[in-house]
Order: sequence, then structure tokens, then C-alpha cells
Amino acid sequence: MSKILIGRYVAGDSIVYRMDPRGKLLATILFILFVFLANNPISYLIVTIFSLAAVAATKLKPKIFWDGVKPLIWLILFTSFLQLFFTVGGTVYWRWTIFALSSYGFTNAIFIFIRFTVIILISTVMTVTTKPLEIADAIEWLLKPLKLIRIPVDKIALVMSIALRFVPTLFDETFKIMNAQRSRGADFNNGGLVTRAKAITPLLVPLFINSLETAIDLSTAMESRGYRGDKGRTKFRVLKWSNVDFINLFYFVLLLGLLLVFRTH
Amino acid sequence: MATDNIIKIKNVSFSYPESDAPAIDNISFNVKRGSWTSIIGHNGSGKSTIIRLINGLLVPDENGSPSIEVDGIKLTDDTVWEVRNRVGIVFQNPDNQFVGATVADDVAFGLENRGIPHSEMVKIVPEAIKAVGMSEYTNAEPANLSGGQKQRVAIAGILAIKPKIIVLDEATSMLDPEGRNQILSIVKDMKEKYDLTVISITHDIDEANMADQVLVMNDGKLITQGSTKTVFSQVSLLKNIGLDVPFFEQIKEKLQQDAIKLPDNLDSEKELINYLCQLNSKM
Ligand SMILES: Nc1ncnc2c1ncn2[C@@H]1O[C@H](COP(=O)(O)OP(=O)(O)O)[C@@H](O)[C@H]1O
Ligand SMILES: [Mg+2]
Repeated sequence: MSKILIGRYVAGDSIVYRMDPRGKLLATILFILFVFLANNPISYLIVTIFSLAAVAATKLKPKIFWDGVKPLIWLILFTSFLQLFFTVGGTVYWRWTIFALSSYGFTNAIFIFIRFTVIILISTVMTVTTKPLEIADAIEWLLKPLKLIRIPVDKIALVMSIALRFVPTLFDETFKIMNAQRSRGADFNNGGLVTRAKAITPLLVPLFINSLETAIDLSTAMESRGYRGDKGRTKFRVLKWSNVDFINLFYFVLLLGLLLVFRTH
Repeated sequence: MATDNIIKIKNVSFSYPESDAPAIDNISFNVKRGSWTSIIGHNGSGKSTIIRLINGLLVPDENGSPSIEVDGIKLTDDTVWEVRNRVGIVFQNPDNQFVGATVADDVAFGLENRGIPHSEMVKIVPEAIKAVGMSEYTNAEPANLSGGQKQRVAIAGILAIKPKIIVLDEATSMLDPEGRNQILSIVKDMKEKYDLTVISITHDIDEANMADQVLVMNDGKLITQGSTKTVFSQVSLLKNIGLDVPFFEQIKEKLQQDAIKLPDNLDSEKELINYLCQLNSKM
């Protein structure tokens, strides 16, 4: 439990793992934008095939991706049903007060379902094959232009990486405090919502105080180790583009081309 | 130059802003280059505060014209970064000083701060990690390391910036005996290898006994200083302020109270045992 990290990185070995996180992040964002170009069966078929190909390229078990979709399945279905019952157009099969079943409703529901699912799949491809820290590096790179308008991107990046580094530490602390409270008779698992919320309070206060202490210690240590802001700071961790990334991005350009050709104008 | 003083502290006092009693009360002492100094004293006696004054994290009170000199550099606003390049501190809590996401990242942190080019960092970092025997954990995350391993990484991070002085601020107090011994033996080796000066703040009497010089703090004052022998033989003084004394010093004190004459040069448990055995055979 203490090894939990933000995100759901799954160790593995395939070409997707060897891609630069910047390339993967860029590709994911592009894909999400491109999906909105799809507007007819053939273009939706193209994005579906494309996302399934990306899933296959990870060489991971389908279950991992199903786990990505599962938490959102009700939201997806609900949204699809709204489309199904509230879209009117084409042949109307059934109508009752404000509800209607129509041929447009059917296609829209299916389109929405596909749109949601492929976006989740592609994001899952990124998050399961890229360590949180690499994602943070990629976000830093993506935010770099903001330096021009004096946004302290380097500091934000350092904060992100420290936050990620302390997630397991905080979990450890939480479990330690929980066990300490349990040994004094606290019960975190039973009772109604209010009882449980009350049981959590004595957990949050020591956790908060501990975190403050950690923060103070950490800032002392950082300063002692010569941290003085971004000026003149170099970076140990550097990202490197490789051919795999260019080929990957080329596929996404290809996707854009296909969608532009096959969508209904 | 072997015997000059690498740290010179004169008339230094310090009060934390929101408190009335000074945390450090007019302290002066020197530390010889290449020596090992222990600072002992109960919690809150001002040991950590002294260290923070030495590396410029805190600034001494104005009164009494205080001066702090490290490796020939007088500590001022302008020299504080130069001084920090010379002093590496290992703190008490292994987790709260681990900044990097992995071992290598953490060791590189001090180098990044100093703007060392990437091409040099990739050479220095593995060397420093190797020096503390953590090579096989280069890419490990802190969550998967023991406290002792994290402290070894902290030492590697310090070695990477090639300091003159290494300070252990109760660095072994949260470790198990094995982790503690590992850290101490690494520090001893590094001291020899790189001619380091060591300052170790500790509650552990054996660790304090490794020193050439011991400083005893009580309520912000430096109440006594000297060689381990002179300091630890002041058994009643140390006991009065609630500090531990090495076991054999306690025995010596008790024997002397019982009017048994002991020679002055008994510096270890072994010598005491030998002497007592001889005494026995003489009787
Ligand atoms: N940040 C702070 N603000 C106010 N008082 C402090 C602070 N840090 C330490 N003190 C006080 O200064 C005194 C010396 O503390 P410290 O140097 O940490 O002692 P030691 O390291 O010997 O345990 C203590 O009385 C402590 O309560
Ligand atoms: Mg302290």
C-alpha cells in the first residue's frame, strides 16, 4: 500500500515504454483534439482502430485498460443514454413527452460512447507506460513557453517532483497514525458516514502537523544543500528525443490527415 | 597547515525571534582542520542552532561583535554560498532531507543548485553513490529505501559537492544499530580519504567518544570543552545536566569515590579492565 504513487504506472517493456514522455504527452493531447474531428461512422472507425492499435503496442493485458475505463463506465453510459433519448432527428421510432428514440439519437449515443472510450484508452496508454515523474518532466517541457510571461515554470516543476516524491511518505505517515489511533481503540471502518468522518479528524490533525514539520525540515535541508532558486541551476535529469518519437508523432499526423479526408464536410 | 582552525567562532549569540531566552548565549570555540568534534547536550540546548549559524541559515545577534569564520572565509551575506559549498550537513530525519525522486536525482541536487554542467554531473553522481555503497540502488525511489540507506544517500549528496566539513546533526539517532554503525564507518572512511573535518551532534556516548574534541552545551551555553578524556572524566558535571557518561568513566568515578587510586591515563574500558586485573594480582 505504501508504494502507491499518483497515476497507475505499470512496469513493462514495449516500444511505448521507450518513448520520450514529452512525445507521449503531446500525442495524447493531439489525439484528444483530433477525436473531435470525427463526425461520421468511418471517421469514428478510424479513431477506434487507432486507439486499439496504441493499446496493443503497449503489450499490456487488456484488463489494465478495462481498469482505466471501469471507474467512468457509468458516466459514459449515462451520457450516451442522454444522447439516445434527447436527440431528435432522422427517423423517430418512439416519442413520449420530452423523450424520443430516433435514428440520430442512436448514432449520437454510439459516437459519444466511442469518443469517451478512446480518449480514456489513449490517456491510459500514457499513464500506465510513463512514470509520474516523467509525466511531470513532460508537463514542465510543455509549460516552458510560459516562462516568457514570467511564470516560474522551473519552480513549479520542482514543486511537482517533490510532491510526487512525498506521496508515499505521506501514505506511510497516514498508516502509522491510523495504527497508533487504532491501538487506542479508534475504528475507521465501521459506522455511518458521520461516525467515519469523525474518526478521520484525529488522523488529519497529526498528519497536517507532520507535513508542516516535514516541509520546514525539507526547506532547511534544501537551503543547506545550496538551493537558491532557479538562477544558474542545471538539470541532472534530461529527456532525449529518439526516432521512435518522431515515428510515433508521424502516426498522429497521419491520423489527422485521415480524419480530415474522411469526415463529413 | 595541518593544525589550523577550519572553524572559528567568537562571541556568537542568537535568539529566535519569538522567544525571550537566547538559544545561543555568547559562544566561542574553534575546530581544528581534519579533526572530529562531538557536540553533546540535552534536547533544546542549542546544538542544531549552532550548526545553522555556521552555515549561515541563521544570522547571529549583533551584540558583542560576533564573528564566524569557516575555512578562512568570514561569514557574511556575500560569502554565505561559498561557506555552504564547504559545509555539508546530514540531518536527523532521513525522509525530510531526501529531495530527489530517486537516489541519483537526490545526489545530483546539490550539483544542480551549483550549476554544474550535465556532462560533469553524470560523472560525479555515480562516483559519490559508489563511495557510500549504494550503486545498486541508483534508480531506487526513497520509499523503497531504509532509513540508513537514505542517510547514506544524504552523505553521497554531500560528497558530490566536495565539502571541507561534514556535520552529522543527530544523523544516526533514527537508525537501528546496524544502520548507525554503517553511517559512522562511512563517515570515518570519508574523513580519512578526503581530509574532512567532522562535527557530530549526538546523544550516543560511543559516537561522541570517536571525537578528538567534545563540546558540551547546556541551555545555549558552552559549559565545557576539551578532549574526550577531559570532558568525560567530569562525570558529576555531565550527570548534573542529565547527560550520559561512558560506562567505564562511571566505574572510574565510583572507584575513586571508594578511595581506590587510579592512574590518569586510563582512556578506555580495556585499559581499565587490564589495570584492575593487575591490581587484583598485586593484592
Ligand atoms: N525555529 C525555531 N523557532 C523558535 N525557537 C526555536 C526554533 N528552533 C529551535 N528553537 C528553540 O531554540 C532552542 C535550541 O534548539 P536547538 O538548537 O534545535 O536544540 P538542539 O538541537 O540542541 O536540540 C530550543 O529551546 C528550541 O525550542
Ligand atoms: Mg537538534
